Amino acid sequence: MPLTKEELLAIEAKAHEHRRTIIETTLCAGSGHIGGALSMIDVTTLLYSRFMRIDPDNADWEDRDRFILSKGHAGIGFVAILADIGYVDRRDLETFNLTGSNLGIHLDASKVPGVDASTGSLGHGLSIALGTALAAKQLGKEYRTFCLLGDGECQEGSVWEAAMAISHFNPPNLVTLVDRNHAQIDGMTEDVMPLEPFADKWRAFGFHTVTVDGHDFEAMNDAIREALDRKDVPTCIILDTCKGKGIGFCEGNYRWHYGGITQEMGEEAMRDLDAYYERRVAAIEWRGEE
Amino acid sequence: MGISFTSINQTKLSTGEVYCETLCELAEENPRIVALTADLGQSSKIGEFMKKFPDRFYQFGIAEQNMYGVAAGMAKAGLIPFTSSFAIFTSCRALDQVHTDICYQRANVKMISSHAGTSFGQAGTTHHSTEDIAIMRSMANLVVIVPADGMETANVVRAAVEYEGPVYIRINRGFDQLVYKELDYGYEIGKAVQLAEGTDVTIIACGSGVFQAVQASAELDAVGIKARVLNMHTIKPIDKDAILKACRDTRRIITVEDHNVIGGLGGAVAEVLAESGMSCAFRRLGLQDCFSPIGYHEDLMAIHGIDTNGIVKSVHDLLQLDFEDDDDWDDEV
Amino acid sequence: MDTRDDRYSGKIFFNAVLPLVRVIIEDVPGITASLKGKSGTFQVSAMTDEGIWATHFTVDNGVVTTTLGALDDKPTVELAFKNLRDFNGFMKGTSKKLPSIRGLMRLGILIPFMRALLKMASLLGLKEAPKEEETQRLLVKLYFYLLSSGISQLNREGHPMITEWTRKSPNRVYAWTVDGYDDVAAYLRVKAGKTKAARGRYRRSQPFFTMRFIDLESALATLLGTGDMMELVAGGKMIMEGGPEFGNMLGDYMLLVGSYAQA
Repeated sequence: MPLTKEELLAIEAKAHEHRRTIIETTLCAGSGHIGGALSMIDVTTLLYSRFMRIDPDNADWEDRDRFILSKGHAGIGFVAILADIGYVDRRDLETFNLTGSNLGIHLDASKVPGVDASTGSLGHGLSIALGTALAAKQLGKEYRTFCLLGDGECQEGSVWEAAMAISHFNPPNLVTLVDRNHAQIDGMTEDVMPLEPFADKWRAFGFHTVTVDGHDFEAMNDAIREALDRKDVPTCIILDTCKGKGIGFCEGNYRWHYGGITQEMGEEAMRDLDAYYERRVAAIEWRGEE
Repeated sequence: MGISFTSINQTKLSTGEVYCETLCELAEENPRIVALTADLGQSSKIGEFMKKFPDRFYQFGIAEQNMYGVAAGMAKAGLIPFTSSFAIFTSCRALDQVHTDICYQRANVKMISSHAGTSFGQAGTTHHSTEDIAIMRSMANLVVIVPADGMETANVVRAAVEYEGPVYIRINRGFDQLVYKELDYGYEIGKAVQLAEGTDVTIIACGSGVFQAVQASAELDAVGIKARVLNMHTIKPIDKDAILKACRDTRRIITVEDHNVIGGLGGAVAEVLAESGMSCAFRRLGLQDCFSPIGYHEDLMAIHGIDTNGIVKSVHDLLQLDFEDDDDWDDEV
Repeated sequence: MDTRDDRYSGKIFFNAVLPLVRVIIEDVPGITASLKGKSGTFQVSAMTDEGIWATHFTVDNGVVTTTLGALDDKPTVELAFKNLRDFNGFMKGTSKKLPSIRGLMRLGILIPFMRALLKMASLLGLKEAPKEEETQRLLVKLYFYLLSSGISQLNREGHPMITEWTRKSPNRVYAWTVDGYDDVAAYLRVKAGKTKAARGRYRRSQPFFTMRFIDLESALATLLGTGDMMELVAGGKMIMEGGPEFGNMLGDYMLLVGSYAQA
């Protein structure tokens, strides 16, 4: 179902809330993977608002939908959603990265409810997602598996091993998503180890591949729905995003893959996020008036 | 709960085939068991399973890292995956996945790793695995087992299914020499099996070393040397009690493994001895920190001194050594 | 002309039996007391084809030490036998030929040692087990020390039955013990032709073989030959810890020592 205006505004609000949480958490921790968290938070918000069938009271519900955050370093973004669901106590966010905390850069599936895999070493998540989806088929279950990778991550050969296998087995209910924010630690992806023609690569591996604006909820919503309906071949949704989206000093800047922020920078970031949110809401409202 | 084949079967079956037959029997009872391979179905003899349970058998092609990641995902979703690959690939190629997806997340994956040690002799070092025990031993949450023969492998597979958590099972390639005539000798993960008694020296062995050790013990017995033989099939958790008893009772220990002497069974036993504070004459037999040349497995074992003759010779050498004052031969008055 | 058997007996008496004198001195409070504060030396010797064989004791302010071989200086007291046969005969109790005694006046040393020698003779001459526990203890101890040292001496002297065994042996320890009496124990270490007899329990590791008696009575039954060994083993009174064939072997060697030490 396409999004109604109310639904869209609700998601926007939620995403905004999560972006703010990312900054708040980073302030407590002192530093964080801000860039990559801000680029993936939109699609993740959408998934958890519209698609993920989970039980807020039982994180281990056998028939739950699975979300494998293959780009595990975006945990600081994912944790905002987990807190929103209630799997994580909001107050625990203040302990992010601190000694003895259950929460840190790469979320531990054995310590944090709602985390389906302990990722962090890039290139593993897609294989795990395939295993999860194959198990569903084997066990006669209907849950869906969503796997979100980073684009730099796709430089790992193991990703393509998994891609080949996904294409071969084509388990139902597995959706592959790539947060294509064009940047990695040492620079822009195309300067470090070029990925283009990226979509063509996925196609060559047998995926129905679409590229959508990773900050356009409606476009993403349509793409995901379509992916779930498609049975003949697996789907890869490449999300064209901007690293650090929403914050002036971060946007598009690969150096904000990971960074520390001071109280002032935090305040500036919040102002930017609020302004960004207002712009987005205004655009939706303005569209509605047409 | 039947593992029903007999000794007669075993002589006709290689260890790989025994493993597969056992797995098939267990899979009949337990629908959660699935088998995975990375283009080594033929070599690891998992083919029978493929025929009987085609929709529970997964072929991943020459892509080990993916296979182990998938296995982790399957295990997390409630299946019991048995992966088959060569030990060198499990322990080196796919180690990141084994470490992070399986061990760290305690995924209930049973990793059958074949062609261990120098058992694939003719293939050379690229297919030998003489570091995997050392590597796997240091993975937390992982149980590491090296069965002595086909019969023991059957027991290990059954025990692995009953055990909740990741298990690394290291087997050879072809026909292993028979150590056991029957299944019912009381196999238990973590409990060494004493195969010969003696108080002159203890030979602690695993895998292909066990048969050689038993032969060596018989040979030594003929010249009046009584060697105890311990089948230390479980490297982790290792049977500390058996090791310390051997130290107290015999004061000389030799370890035998088709593996580098660094970090494997020998290293594990040395750790136990060193921490105990008891002194003991000690020697590790295995590859002396080298890669192996090409050859038949039996010949390579001879070259590396881990065959019967090598063990016998080492025992003789060790018995010349003394742990007490060798100068004072006066009677006490 | 000393025969081989003379020499075997001689070695056993000098090096395995005479040293027991010190054990007796230390065990019998009366004799210990009589040596208190005394110093001097006591030697028993015999002239053999190879020269003087002897064992001597040094008393230093009441403390006795034993040394195999003859003193360089003149001992305070000496029992000197003219030849080996006389000495052996005396020790076996078959000969009445007395040694010449030097230092007869040095009663302070002479008397305690003579007492010890006589006590030893009487104990080792017993055909039946004594009743008192203390005496039983001492007697078993003496036998354990005697037999372990005796086997070792036969080895050193080249007795073929013993050297055949010791030559081929890897490092092994054979022990004698009695349950409940830690001090009533001895052991023999054997390795590649060499032997060492030692007293007490072997602690470094489990001995290769232990002839273990559950009580003093059982030990005496075996040592005095009054009990049937098979019965003792069957009845659990004597436990062979280690291969039974080694137990039998050890038993044979013990009898061998006995045969040279008795009439």
